Amino acid sequence: MTDPPGPLTPEAEQELMRRLISGDEDAARALYGRFGRPVYGLGLRMLGSAGAAEELTQDVFLAAWRKGGRYDAARGRLSTWLMAIAHNLAVDRLRRETGVTRPHLVLVDEVPELPTPGEDEPLMERDAAIRALACLSIAEKQLLARAYFGGLTAREIAEADGIPLGTVKTRLRTALIKVRRANHDKERP
Amino acid sequence: MTCLEVRELLPELAVGVLPARDREEVERHLRWCAGCRKEAGELGDAAATVAFALPPADLPDALRERVVRDVKGAAGAPRKPRRARAAAASALAAAIALGSLGWGAVMADRAGEFEQRAAEANRQRTQALEAFQTILANPLVPEEDLNRQTRLGRLTPTEDGLGGGMALQLLSPRILDFSLVIVNGLDPRDTDRLPYRVEFENGAGEVVRGGHIDELDAEGHAEVFRQFANRDLTGYTLVRVVDGDGVVVLEGRAGAGI
Repeated sequence: MTDPPGPLTPEAEQELMRRLISGDEDAARALYGRFGRPVYGLGLRMLGSAGAAEELTQDVFLAAWRKGGRYDAARGRLSTWLMAIAHNLAVDRLRRETGVTRPHLVLVDEVPELPTPGEDEPLMERDAAIRALACLSIAEKQLLARAYFGGLTAREIAEADGIPLGTVKTRLRTALIKVRRANHDKERP
Repeated sequence: MTCLEVRELLPELAVGVLPARDREEVERHLRWCAGCRKEAGELGDAAATVAFALPPADLPDALRERVVRDVKGAAGAPRKPRRARAAAASALAAAIALGSLGWGAVMADRAGEFEQRAAEANRQRTQALEAFQTILANPLVPEEDLNRQTRLGRLTPTEDGLGGGMALQLLSPRILDFSLVIVNGLDPRDTDRLPYRVEFENGAGEVVRGGHIDELDAEGHAEVFRQFANRDLTGYTLVRVVDGDGVVVLEGRAGAGI
């Protein structure tokens, strides 16, 4: 069975997970085809090496198989669910290996401004993400990147920047709400 | 926690950096509060957007087939080996428990012949692990996987407490995950602290119970063995032994070695 192009409906996402749980190889390939690249990219960005990113990617898809029974398309998108698994596993490793691979500098251009021309269909998700993040200021992008990629808590950021904890929390909330609003404008089919 | 308090913490939850204790409380609230759960889901979507915006990485050629092989292997693991391995895990528990007696005394610092006993304890542990890997060796599971997924760690007392211990976790996509925690040198007369419970925590602050200790022998020794039929122990490396009042008495990291 081939994976249909374009975003999946909630029903199709649920069906894909049902097939994955049963060990369907095509479903595993389809899931990897859709999300392998962002999962691996996240691992590369957060863990800093190809080896660690590969290991993370394998763990994420295996975890998706293990936890697949708990996935409910009515409660959220498959991409969010899978990336949350990937992010949690990566943060866990970062904390375990603090000082080894943890990135200290976060550059603004790590949250890019524009889609790269010529990217193919599976990268539509990225295109949409970039457009949604375009609503953020540079400072907001930096803040999100430090927390999300760097695994820094609001308190750690506040201490590093010498600003009140409440201010960091408010800025983080504001940034996420802006992205949420932008996401709402391009809801799933 | 009220909805207001929970919502203040949701942005940190969404980006995965909410400290463990707050996270536990927030997640408890989300189980019953549909409004906050919806908010948490939407903020989670927003946070995931950051990951999707990353520049596309070149995927290693062989990775896709490794992922497919993992899933296929996990889904297709025959039932018989699962039972055989569960039995092997029980045998391992017994083997390590025997080996741990000498080691426990060392941890409690009650033996004069420290070097000799430590060496003997090491030998016994190595033997038990070798036996374990032999039993579990199976063509389906590459040796390096077994090595990678066997985590050993030493438990040490918190503050000025007594005793010590060890923790072992086996993680495998193909068999049931299991954990074995052995404690020694806790005060057996201090029955008010019973029952002790074993907890495993992951980096996100999520806690899994590893069993409980209802009684200690005269050496302050006990073993807790648990299989996880529906739980993946990946990431749950922080190990704690907590007394009946919730005070952490032993702590360590599975995978840090002993």
